[in-house]
Amino acid sequence: MRLLRHDLHALTGAYALDAIDRSAERERFTRHMNGCPSCASEVRGFREVATAMAFAAALEPPPALRVQVLEAVARTRQLPPEIKTHARPKRSRTWVPWVPWLSGAIATAGIVIAVLFGFAQAHTQQELNQARASSQSLAAIEARTMQELDQARTQNQLLAAIMAAPHVRVLSQRSTRGGVAVVLLASVRHQLIVTTSGLPALPAGKVYQLWLIGPKKIVSAGLLPAARSGQTAPVVASGLVAGDKLGLTVEPAPGSKQPTMTPIIALPV
Amino acid sequence: MNPSDSDASRFRSTSTDRRGERDLDDLLVHVARGDQVAFEAIYDRLAGPVYGVVRRVLRDPSQSEEVTQEVLLEVWRNAARFDPAMGGAATWVLTIAHRRAIDRVRASTAAAEREQRNADIQTPRDEVAEAVEASLDRERVRRCLDALTEIQRESITLAYYGGYSYRQVAGLLSVTLGAIKTRIRDGLIRMRDCLGVS
Repeated sequence: MRLLRHDLHALTGAYALDAIDRSAERERFTRHMNGCPSCASEVRGFREVATAMAFAAALEPPPALRVQVLEAVARTRQLPPEIKTHARPKRSRTWVPWVPWLSGAIATAGIVIAVLFGFAQAHTQQELNQARASSQSLAAIEARTMQELDQARTQNQLLAAIMAAPHVRVLSQRSTRGGVAVVLLASVRHQLIVTTSGLPALPAGKVYQLWLIGPKKIVSAGLLPAARSGQTAPVVASGLVAGDKLGLTVEPAPGSKQPTMTPIIALPV
Repeated sequence: MNPSDSDASRFRSTSTDRRGERDLDDLLVHVARGDQVAFEAIYDRLAGPVYGVVRRVLRDPSQSEEVTQEVLLEVWRNAARFDPAMGGAATWVLTIAHRRAIDRVRASTAAAEREQRNADIQTPRDEVAEAVEASLDRERVRRCLDALTEIQRESITLAYYGGYSYRQVAGLLSVTLGAIKTRIRDGLIRMRDCLGVS
């Protein structure tokens, strides 16, 4: 059962004081906080209050402890800075609660735009900030990330152009194998944008392929990129014709000329 | 230790004056590069608050020393992973300290026993005052705690100093879970404003 977001937000205080004892509840709040900058900043402020409370409770430790700690330090190896890529899935998990909601009545173009833009840029911008914060030997990572950010910006410009088109519509459909596709449709430009969430992971050698299925012919609309934590970055498909359906199938890599199975999604667009 | 000096530096490190905090941040950067002298300076600045807060939560002196040592060793080991964007060095260290103390409480099979002991001892605020001379921080925090409503103050001190979860606090104060979450948050907002935390 999902807590109301209001309830989650009220947990900032308890969270900052380490007063949430149920790990599931703590994790749910952490996830919420990842996508809620105001919660995160509130928690930061509360932690400073806690810090002042700790200073107010300061108690001189026994002098022997100093010797013990310094001795232990002298023979303890330090850990290197954290630059692991596994930080990524954690970040993108912030999107998890969003996308499935889109299949419901609350889907609005505004949310979709946030998702589409955020997807490309949030990763790279955060990675960049992180890389800068950890400084030094990270020049290489920063360069790579800058490049990713540029690509993301280019992609975002394309997305922006499509979304700026008149009569943009948002559609979504659940796949027969679980997961959901969200489609932003710009008929005037004969283009659409597809993102997915929660599609089952595929074995090696298999890919998800998009199709524009017309009454007379079926055209490939490209492959879905590899999912990050169950979500795929936006794919732009062009050449849309009235009466087409958007189809999704599982195909042997690197994709097929024509679908080899019944689509797991067939969404009239 | 000279009370007036250390109190002044402690005050800086937790107040809106960012200088002391930045000093600590710098020290931590040096610690991350294996500088043991910088670590000694960190120890001298933060071992008191670390030990103090751990002791408040755990009560038992020898367990508290153990946890304090673990925390400071963790600071040494993880110094390179300190992220200034998430808050200052003092906050980083004391967040670790409080969490480790809480971990110990929640893992402890003697948790029930401790709760009994805690329920018996109802002198959470004055106990420490006897052990250390009054400091500027203590006055400031006390003044701000006193400005809260009774239930806000009790829920915050029980949660932070007592190491209780908000569920347990709700039970102790006979208040609903929803109300206790709100009291803790509202109280912390008032504390934050009163202490002049950004």
